[in-house]
Amino acid sequence: MASAALGGVAEAKTVIHVMHQGDPGWVATYGEIAKRFEAANPDVDVELIYAPHDAYNEKFSAAVMSKQLPDVMELDAPFLANYVWSGYLQPIKLLVDKDVIDDMTESNIAQGTYPIDKDLYAVGLTDSSVVLYGNKKYLEAIGARIPKSVDDAWTREEFEGYLEKLSTLEGVKWPIDTFRGYGIKTEWITYAYGPILQSAGCDLIDRKTWKSVGTLDGDPCVEALTMMQKWVTNGWVVPQSSGTNQFFAEGHPAALALGGHWFYAEAAASMKDDIVVMPLPKFGPKGASPNGTWIWGITTASEHPDIAGKFISFMLKDKLYRDYAREDSGYPGLKSFAADSPLYAAGGPMAVAFEQASKTAIARPPHPAYPAITSAFMGAVDEIFNGGDAKAALSKAAEKIDEDIEENDGYPPFDEQQ
Amino acid sequence: MTLQQTVRPAVIARSASRRDNGRLIQEIGMLAPAVILLTIFLAVPFLLSFWTAMTNQPLVPRPTPIRFVGFNNFLRIFRDELFWTSLWNVSRFTFWILPVQCGLAFATALLLHQKLPFRNLFRGLFFLPAITSMVVVCVIWGTLFQYPSGPFNQIIGFLSGGRIQPIDWLGDPNWAMFSIVLLSAWQAYGFQMIVYLAGLQGIPDELYDAARIDGANAFQRFWHVTMPGLRPTHVFVLVITTIQAFKLYTQVAILTQGGPKSSTETVVHYMVRSGFEEQKLGYASAVSVILFLIVLVIALLQRQLLRRFDV
Amino acid sequence: MSELAIPTLEAQVKSERSAIGSLRMVQTASILVIALVIVSPLFMLLIASLKDDRFQILADMGSFRAFWVSNPTLSNFAEIGNLSGELAFGRYLVNSLIILASTVGAGLIVNSMAGFVLAWGSLRGRALILSLVIALYVIPQESIIMPLVIMVSRAGMTDTFAVQIVPWIASPLYIFLFYQFFAQLPKELFEAAQIDGASVFRIYRSIFLPLSLPALATVSILMGIESWNQYLWPILVTQTDYARPIAVAIATFFGQDSIYWDRAMAASVLMMIPILALYLAFQRWFVSSFVGSAVKG
Repeated sequence: MASAALGGVAEAKTVIHVMHQGDPGWVATYGEIAKRFEAANPDVDVELIYAPHDAYNEKFSAAVMSKQLPDVMELDAPFLANYVWSGYLQPIKLLVDKDVIDDMTESNIAQGTYPIDKDLYAVGLTDSSVVLYGNKKYLEAIGARIPKSVDDAWTREEFEGYLEKLSTLEGVKWPIDTFRGYGIKTEWITYAYGPILQSAGCDLIDRKTWKSVGTLDGDPCVEALTMMQKWVTNGWVVPQSSGTNQFFAEGHPAALALGGHWFYAEAAASMKDDIVVMPLPKFGPKGASPNGTWIWGITTASEHPDIAGKFISFMLKDKLYRDYAREDSGYPGLKSFAADSPLYAAGGPMAVAFEQASKTAIARPPHPAYPAITSAFMGAVDEIFNGGDAKAALSKAAEKIDEDIEENDGYPPFDEQQ
Repeated sequence: MTLQQTVRPAVIARSASRRDNGRLIQEIGMLAPAVILLTIFLAVPFLLSFWTAMTNQPLVPRPTPIRFVGFNNFLRIFRDELFWTSLWNVSRFTFWILPVQCGLAFATALLLHQKLPFRNLFRGLFFLPAITSMVVVCVIWGTLFQYPSGPFNQIIGFLSGGRIQPIDWLGDPNWAMFSIVLLSAWQAYGFQMIVYLAGLQGIPDELYDAARIDGANAFQRFWHVTMPGLRPTHVFVLVITTIQAFKLYTQVAILTQGGPKSSTETVVHYMVRSGFEEQKLGYASAVSVILFLIVLVIALLQRQLLRRFDV
Repeated sequence: MSELAIPTLEAQVKSERSAIGSLRMVQTASILVIALVIVSPLFMLLIASLKDDRFQILADMGSFRAFWVSNPTLSNFAEIGNLSGELAFGRYLVNSLIILASTVGAGLIVNSMAGFVLAWGSLRGRALILSLVIALYVIPQESIIMPLVIMVSRAGMTDTFAVQIVPWIASPLYIFLFYQFFAQLPKELFEAAQIDGASVFRIYRSIFLPLSLPALATVSILMGIESWNQYLWPILVTQTDYARPIAVAIATFFGQDSIYWDRAMAASVLMMIPILALYLAFQRWFVSSFVGSAVKG
């Protein structure tokens, strides 16, 4: 990466700015990719802009307001609709290599698609999912059935029966960790608990009328959250202030863990072969699992969208990038990457997790009001888990969401979609 | 003195007024850099937010037009139960943090002011929490507070012979704010401590000597020399700690995010959530205007009150 | 005073000496206890920085094992020292030091001058200005940050050192602090100098400032910490590592899904060292005051 001081030398070059987040390993990897891209395209200069993920939204608005939007930006999938609606992203289907587009999994396409024009606005090498991890010894002790594929996932009755049995088993302090320890105002809440609602037959918002009242506060949602509240009040769930390590901490106090794909590396480091990976239970007629991660888009401010597209294609095919993602136990969003990831390939320990991507994955509501939707839902979950009335809390949240949509005149043209 | 007596009165008057003018210009010159910088980088952006507070401006510009909404944002804030909860919570926090943090700071400053062995080492140790970043502080205290078998609960269990049940410090709505108070006092008392240390240095040794000669004992010297000598410091510490308490944000954002059950929701956290998470900049600006007015009134009342006690 | 007073004073000093002896013991004991309570939480940070397995650190959290390391290693520190490219810590460290030194240096002058005029000036409306200054302290940084970003980007200050220094030089907090310290000094000091014909600036520069070492030290330390820990602002107004401070680099270890506890802790320890050095250097200025002799002289 050329530093600002050398700008004079690179006068004739085309400069593209790439904004990203990530830990030190990723930062170093992007640096290497940029160098290799510059070597392959001597007339292009890649300027990387790093922003820590916890300040990424703020950095993005600062960039918009100071008219310094980058050409390429990494973005969190659920915010895609908001960004597209606000006019900051452009379609990428014609800018990114066709073989990359064709390589995308269904879930990956879903997370990058804007519902109004059904066009693709972002692409990623990776995706994400949540599965049910189990402690093999405990599950054998209660004689639990171990599902082998998404199709024979536990039903709600099975799941709650096992929780009850585990609660009295010697050595088990808590039957399940749902990672309340991540916090109450973190995306985890909507990301991981939303699919439980969808599996139970409801949603955060009606995806046709884009109204939350009547859906989020409808009976199936109230019933689903009352069920979760019961797990908490029964003492079955690891409390919020007990950390996020109870599944693998000394003595293995938690028997199950409803955790993200990244949790596998943490748990396997100390549990070795004692982990079983299972699909998320079915709480109603159909299964549901979350998806979405940080993906790449091209902004409308870019003066060289073609080069920006070229950079994204180059990066997603880059071997070093893929190697690092694999090492980071990245969840595949491209089919060729899945085939190349022993962890997720057929027969691998996380194969079930990857199977969910094509069978049960549902994106979070692709609506520009998403920031308000997720914020309201988090508030309701905190209220309910601490003993509040589910119906009342969900009604309040649903009203808040609809109020936000109304204030923005229905986010046209979302108000016309039926 | 003798020199001045020989000068005629009229000359005195003229040179005095010239001196006054010169003095005034110098004073303005000395005040100007601060006033100009504060105006540009604090006052102007804040005045802009008075205007933003009257609009529906989003954080990130949107295709929908920005509208003037008058006092609508304010009315909606006043109707939101959560806002009143957050105001009540910061009041509770302030009530606790003032005696705990300032008391700890004052006590340690008095101790470290003595000529004790290894004084410099202790001064360094006592200041360590203040230079630890809040993220790390929250990681450490999150561990200490862990329920049910974190270090705090184990110590309490041990001391009480198991009679006291483990406390869910951060997860129980009745305890969460108190836990935040403990952590905050620990992290930030170093600030007040060094202000007190500086204040203690400002009291002339001669005053203590004089008190000794008058037969005052250690307590009397503390009460009649140290305390009055620190009066401006006390005022400063009290006013600043109160303002800081009302701005409580970082540790809550990291550790409890306002929960459980909104028991640690604070006004600034409420503002940041509406402004940055829900992206309603206009609404958030209105919250900050309200916070500004409330704390301003409190700070001014406090100064008036303290002044009255002094006289 | 009569002759009688002298033996009384001596007797008092004697009896006080033994009282002081026991007082010292109590003081030393309490200082040890407080030090233990204050410092022990930080011990965990140090211990974690000496473990090289981030998963082990995570597994140990929440129990006393967080306070114990069986085979300590400095590998985390070595690893941070070896980071290169966009995350070369040396670069960020130097940036932070430049920003800190300039902010504190300019801040001492600007804020102390203002505090002095507010305390001893003859300007009318000083009380009002002081109230306004305190009022400004009420404003949370979070509520002005976005308008400020627009202002500095329009001024073309993005990605510079200046943008991280200039806005934070003048501070209501430190003006108020200087004000209260100056106001505490005896009136005779100012009046005596005035009679000698010294100008306001001279009185400030040659008499009050030299007497204010404790206040200058306090403000240097506090401003230093504040500048050192600036995080959100530098992210918003800088794009490259050209002027970015160390706090931004440290944040990379606190990743999205999993935190690199080992290196995050080591980096946090490293980040404390320069500020601790600053504190230790300045705390020498907490010296006994010369005010009394200055008044007499």
